[in-house]
Amino acid sequence: MDMNLTRRAFFGGATAWAVWPKNLFGAPNKGGKPNRPPQASAWEKPDGSATDSVMARRLYLDLAGRIPTRDEAQAYVYSADPKKRQVLADKLLASQDFANYWAMRFCDILRVKSEFPINLWPNAVYVYHARIRAFVEQNEPWDAFGRTLLTAQGSDFRDAEANFFRATDMRTPDGWAEAVAQTFLGIPPIKLKPALKAELAAYLGNVKIKDTREWKEEIVFVEGTDRRGELCDLLFAKKRAEVAAAFSRTVRRWIFGPKAGAAKAPGEMRLKNMLREIVLSPEYARGSVTGGFPARKLDAEVLDDAICALSGSSRDYQSPAPEPFTFLPPKRATVCVEDGSITSGFLTLFGRPARDKGLQDERGSDVTAKQRLYLFNSATVHRQMGQIAGPPGKLPDGTPNPIYQLPFPKRVDDIYWRMLAREPTPQERQLILGIWQKRGGGKKRNVRPFDLLRDVAWCLINTKEFIFRI
Amino acid sequence: MKPAKSVVEIWQWGGPSQLEMFDPKPKADRDFNGGLKAIPTNVPGMELHEWWPEMAKCADLFSVIRTMTHTEFGHETACYLMQTGRMPGGGEVCPAIGAVISQVKRKEYKGDLPPYVILTREKGRFSEVGFLGTTAAPLVTGGRPNSSRFSVDGIVPPEGITPEASKARFDLLAALDGWKPAEKSDNAALATAFDFAGKEARRIAEGDAAKVFDLSLETKEIRDSYGRTDIGQTLLVARRLVEYGVPYITVNVPGWDSHKRHFETMRRKSLDTDLAIATFLKDMKSKGLLDSTVVWMSGEFGRTPRVGWEAPWNGGRGHYARCFSAMVAGGGFKGGQVVGVSDETASKPVSRPVSPQDFLGSIYACCGIDPDGPLPNSQGKKMKILPPQSSEGRLRELYTESA
Repeated sequence: MDMNLTRRAFFGGATAWAVWPKNLFGAPNKGGKPNRPPQASAWEKPDGSATDSVMARRLYLDLAGRIPTRDEAQAYVYSADPKKRQVLADKLLASQDFANYWAMRFCDILRVKSEFPINLWPNAVYVYHARIRAFVEQNEPWDAFGRTLLTAQGSDFRDAEANFFRATDMRTPDGWAEAVAQTFLGIPPIKLKPALKAELAAYLGNVKIKDTREWKEEIVFVEGTDRRGELCDLLFAKKRAEVAAAFSRTVRRWIFGPKAGAAKAPGEMRLKNMLREIVLSPEYARGSVTGGFPARKLDAEVLDDAICALSGSSRDYQSPAPEPFTFLPPKRATVCVEDGSITSGFLTLFGRPARDKGLQDERGSDVTAKQRLYLFNSATVHRQMGQIAGPPGKLPDGTPNPIYQLPFPKRVDDIYWRMLAREPTPQERQLILGIWQKRGGGKKRNVRPFDLLRDVAWCLINTKEFIFRI
Repeated sequence: MKPAKSVVEIWQWGGPSQLEMFDPKPKADRDFNGGLKAIPTNVPGMELHEWWPEMAKCADLFSVIRTMTHTEFGHETACYLMQTGRMPGGGEVCPAIGAVISQVKRKEYKGDLPPYVILTREKGRFSEVGFLGTTAAPLVTGGRPNSSRFSVDGIVPPEGITPEASKARFDLLAALDGWKPAEKSDNAALATAFDFAGKEARRIAEGDAAKVFDLSLETKEIRDSYGRTDIGQTLLVARRLVEYGVPYITVNVPGWDSHKRHFETMRRKSLDTDLAIATFLKDMKSKGLLDSTVVWMSGEFGRTPRVGWEAPWNGGRGHYARCFSAMVAGGGFKGGQVVGVSDETASKPVSRPVSPQDFLGSIYACCGIDPDGPLPNSQGKKMKILPPQSSEGRLRELYTESA
């Protein structure tokens, strides 16, 4: 097996030091300034469209759920290929990172969590997550996937799709009607009209769930006539346009925020095709300063992964519930955590959704004082910023880390590329070098690059440009 | 009755045994009491289990309820019920009492710390803020008060950053945070909110909130008197948070889920907790804080009265919600009282059963919050704080004055 692929799958593409680039002096950044026209700003071209750096970061964040590495950012920015956006989009859409990240989003709206109030329990969480991830990875049409969910029966441990009927806090025909309306028609329970609810519930009256003698194993079955096929015909044939519009609205909302409506001509049922169309559209290329492209806060999981990847640290997750204890494989990206009940103080603080209702706005999109306080003042972040400024002296193969041979200005550039996918603007560079010289950097032996670089890393992690996908 | 300013909730995560706590049954069979005894307290006629000797010396400061009762035997559903006063289900995830009280009290609270502080870990079984969302989220401190330095991530600044270095860093940040969306755009509103949150955070970072968590400001004698245990030093922090004015403080004490080898676990936990709470109550009293602070202690349920001696339990107790104990003190609650009588094995209430919503309702009432009033929220939900009280009613017999 290709080791790199394995690592990708497990790390979710997060760059640990194990993949630290050795070729720091190599092309394309060789010998000073790159050969490209000056830009109006670091974020927007004179015509109001996003710069290449912003676009690279956008594509990686939206499609792969992570920030690009230094090499990935430079490869995109310095590429002269006129079709580079398309090339990168296709590459990312085919990646494991894409499957991991978008599985997370669909698990949010399908309420994949072990505990209260959904109570899927661990075994079912893992099989259901795997099934949802397969839907994303294999680009299965949304209606075909929906049909497998709605007509499923069997054990929650083995028949993954049957968990659709378990992943709701009301396991009754009315509760399922609400889940169906919310998932496939985009109608939240509060706006669901009683008549439609009753119509949907009528198809689900014979669905039953029973226990087995296995701990937390349950069987979803139908007693009497199974009318769920008729429900699927209603949704995916008669109301097909509504389902397609709701699907389009859901996906576009993840990209363009709460004001996004459905596409002009919805009908696409394949996630990858829809996303490809979105990221290659002129709308997606707008700048975020004057161009009106909506910025959004990084997902808590993505932010966590970004800080961990930059600093070469990782998180270990486990479930505190004593029956049974759950330990996840170490050093996995947070985006890959299957179970909404397995969480951390960081994730709660930064607005990871509880997956109680499955509504998109369950995810906290605000930036709060508590969040900023954590990034300003936390000892953990302080240590991680130190790890960004001063990575290990030796690479995993034992050779010296070439970063330490770079002159100070190049190390500033390196941190900018890694954190923001761009080089510093002349003003930013001048400002930082000014402080360096004022402190006597390069002359006084006790003035270490590390201290100022750590401050730079601390500053960048606290910028809007880092916290938002702009 | 003057409303309490603060609440300290001591949450015995996992479900503590009523028999080895506030409802000892020395006359019952060994299969129920494990052969253990009750001890008298400084209140005539009120007995506690022998593993609570320090509490027994100050029983006039608190009251016990021996007839807490409900029907949920699973941790997560019982926890939800005991924290929200509502049965799970019905399509809503309601906020816990701490989230509600802190949201109401934050209007009159002037401190820099969030009005809802959890020491040191979340319960983890359900989202305690429910539908109130991230704005109501508690500060979860993490860290360990019983260590050389109680590091509260975000509040206590990392070691080695001087005020000058911090100011220089903020100056550099202001210069480097250059992305500025066009005025009046959606992104501009986002950027403004970000900057506003940053100003607020910086004010807290540069203020003296961190001192609240610095136990080196307490004398060695005080620190020792609470016990050099996790629960002891955590309760000392809780007292400092009350002094600071934080409206709601939750102390989550895990480890009461004693299915196996119950007596070993319960003895260790009880003795640590006994010293810590007794000292806490006396310290609060001597500082004049107890009258304005409600202190309550309970778990999600109690434990099965009959001991499982056989393997694999080897002297264990299972989950049991039909009859269990809770404690209240201060803030408008009388001390030295016993509410309710359970049967000879603490298996069911004989008189005065107390439901979760009546228990929580009493705490709301002592805080000057009408439990039958609307649940404050910005989600547009029309809902009362608690369901209607049961026929037995709230704990009026414990109020110092009629509410």
